[in-house]
Amino acid sequence: MFKLEKSKLVISASAVSLVALFAAGCMGGPANYPKGDDIAGGVIYPIENGMTGPYLVNQTALDNTVYQGRVPTANELKAWNKDIQAGGVGLPEGEGSVEDGEAIYEAKCVMCHGDFGSGGGGYPALSKGNGAEGQKTLTNNRWKDPEAEGPSRYFGSYWPEASTMWWYIKDGMPHPKSKTLTNDEVYALTAYMLAINELEVDGEVVDDEFVLTKENFAKIKMPNKDGFEPKVHGPSGLDNVRKYFANPVNFGAIKVSESSRCMSDCQQTDKIVRIQNGGIDDFHPPMSVERSLPKNNEMMAVKTIKDPKETYQANCAMCHDSFLSPGSAEWKSYTRKGMKKVYKNAIKGTPGGMPAKGGSSLSDSDFKLVVDYVVSGKVK
Amino acid sequence: MDNKKSEKDLEVSSRRDFFKKTAVMSAAAIAGTSLSASEDDPAIMHHPKWGQTWGDPVTKNRYGVPSAYEHNVTRRNTKLLASGNYRASIAVTPIHESEGIITPNGLFFSRAHGGVAHVDPNEFRLMIHGLMKKPIVLTLDQLKRYPSVTRTHFIECPANGGQEWRGPQFNSLQFSKGFMSCAQWTGVYIKTIIKDLGLDMDKAKWMLAEGSDNSEMGRTVPMDKVLDDAMIVWGQNGEALRPEQGYPVRLLLPGWEGNLCVKWLKRLEFSEEPWYAKEETSKYTALKPSGKAIQHFYANEVNSTVVKPSPEKPWTDLKEGDVVEIEGLAWSGMGTITKVDLSFDGGNNYVEASLKGLVLPKCWTRWSYLYTIPKGFKHTNGKQLLLTSRAMDDAGYIQPTVQEEVDVMGVESVYHRNGIETWEVNEKGEVNHVQIRKV
Repeated sequence: MFKLEKSKLVISASAVSLVALFAAGCMGGPANYPKGDDIAGGVIYPIENGMTGPYLVNQTALDNTVYQGRVPTANELKAWNKDIQAGGVGLPEGEGSVEDGEAIYEAKCVMCHGDFGSGGGGYPALSKGNGAEGQKTLTNNRWKDPEAEGPSRYFGSYWPEASTMWWYIKDGMPHPKSKTLTNDEVYALTAYMLAINELEVDGEVVDDEFVLTKENFAKIKMPNKDGFEPKVHGPSGLDNVRKYFANPVNFGAIKVSESSRCMSDCQQTDKIVRIQNGGIDDFHPPMSVERSLPKNNEMMAVKTIKDPKETYQANCAMCHDSFLSPGSAEWKSYTRKGMKKVYKNAIKGTPGGMPAKGGSSLSDSDFKLVVDYVVSGKVK
Repeated sequence: MDNKKSEKDLEVSSRRDFFKKTAVMSAAAIAGTSLSASEDDPAIMHHPKWGQTWGDPVTKNRYGVPSAYEHNVTRRNTKLLASGNYRASIAVTPIHESEGIITPNGLFFSRAHGGVAHVDPNEFRLMIHGLMKKPIVLTLDQLKRYPSVTRTHFIECPANGGQEWRGPQFNSLQFSKGFMSCAQWTGVYIKTIIKDLGLDMDKAKWMLAEGSDNSEMGRTVPMDKVLDDAMIVWGQNGEALRPEQGYPVRLLLPGWEGNLCVKWLKRLEFSEEPWYAKEETSKYTALKPSGKAIQHFYANEVNSTVVKPSPEKPWTDLKEGDVVEIEGLAWSGMGTITKVDLSFDGGNNYVEASLKGLVLPKCWTRWSYLYTIPKGFKHTNGKQLLLTSRAMDDAGYIQPTVQEEVDVMGVESVYHRNGIETWEVNEKGEVNHVQIRKV
């Protein structure tokens, strides 16, 4: 048996599943196929007698010390170890107000996430109103009544921890230009998220004056904190997970023996539900199983999209349909001093989230045609 | 006892049917072409042009590409799943064209949360730290010096089929079940690396895996998996990972949700408490009718599908009496496939199909059933054929009916849908996606 697993067994009294796996392995089953349940309810194929499941292993290679690499410096650890855990564990010093958060949001986030985090255009909604009220919709289920209202899942109504928001904004936002926000900006944006979700900190609903800091972060109340199972926090977290997935009923699974599985009269109904209204079929490229040679062998060449409208649809529409849409009046304040700055921003990208050339790989001159289209609403 | 009796009855009648039909099969039916028996096939009677001229020199295509005729065998995407300008999105695998149990690297489904990153392997570093005496930084070359293991496993997005909780939406196998692929992976067990690092086994309960991509994608992994079969992999079907699969290095947790197998990996940290990363709270949690959501829902449950026929691969060229192989895939993140049953009436009555080829843990498994096309593609019950497969694994799990699954999970959970799937074959041999359910 593998050294590490053995030492864990001796040291850790809570390694329930590994103990079980040991026992199951001794009880047999087919040779070299010892069985046991893993934490997720599946089978473990322990390494035994030079095998794991059907695979041979070099036990000597796995059991010996083969240390590679080096110990990271303190600065290297500090540079990469920046995750934030529940309650704000790991947060850096800093602070940010709802007011500042709103200004940053309007400058860098609104074009994708919509006014007040309303979402749209392929980007998630950050709020659909009061979080505690939204949390009550989580029992909505279009289960027996397809016409009923569904559950509303957003930051305030669904997420268990506010630390997730701070951490993700810092690491992943703005989406086309991540890791460009300062810690204070992230505090401010998180404060603004609390405000538009009408959440409570230290018993008070967050208002426009609120300032989020490292110190008051742990006092944020998330309405759906207890909305998840199994419980993973605390000393019995792993045991809770093991117990949860040991019971198939918890997650809609069914266990039977091969000999007792149903082979006849198994269905609860003979009702056939077909695809409604043609279903979803906007597949790209369109579905085909033809094996004809493509025209001009165009599939083999690198395709350059030159139709500005096509580029717009593929690269720009998701944000620009709701913000500075093709030919919209909003453009006037941007083009007052001519097109030079507009072209430059479009080609190089902006801190506000516009990716360089909208993420396309067109030449500068081709992309200018796209810009002309977005500004004027017409193809030249 | 009743079950067994009817299973045997079905098998006998199907075999009797098969022998009867093969005896009267005509030569034309075997040829399966539109030519009459006396016509000469031009494809045989003329020299094809590729047989009379030089082909390419061996110096062309130093990294080979598929035949130009195969251009429709590609990943596909749809606007429904276009989030983040296709940067927080998915392109799915054409499993209707898949052969065997390996997905070619260029067709392996592609899912990213901040776009597909292009990592410079010279700047790749993997940091492993937290609750250990000897934290470590590895270069790619150093990582590859650890004793390696090679395993064949599928990776599946837990949202595979997740658009169809409330009813079928895609008349397509690629979109209904193509949020998954299967490959042979090469890497190192994490337990091999950490045994040298002095990890505090009393305290370490969770491991954070973090990517270096634009979204810094991260997820929490329980120690049980770290000490079992969790791997850090750099090889995919005999070559380096593709950028879409996390080049140069990704985490592989065999059988578990694809998003747990963090790509463009940069850091592993051990801790006493889990992390609550964005992709394990806001997403990848399965809401039940109680209003509670399942979190840390790791393993993809037992599942299967009929591949041939499918909406993309219909039976429109076949007619009564033709003998055809019904073929499909089965897979389970919980273990090894043990049984696949096939139904012709939407999952009411089953016969057992044959598994074929290698049958490996947490891996695609091929299954097969030889079948004689009935008149009008109608079942003996007088209704159009409803082809449904149902798999079982060695953990003892069996696929639920759509109704059984919905009765527990409701229709809002998005993830981990593994109820049996049904294809309806109409009188022309066209294949349409349906579900057998009460609502």
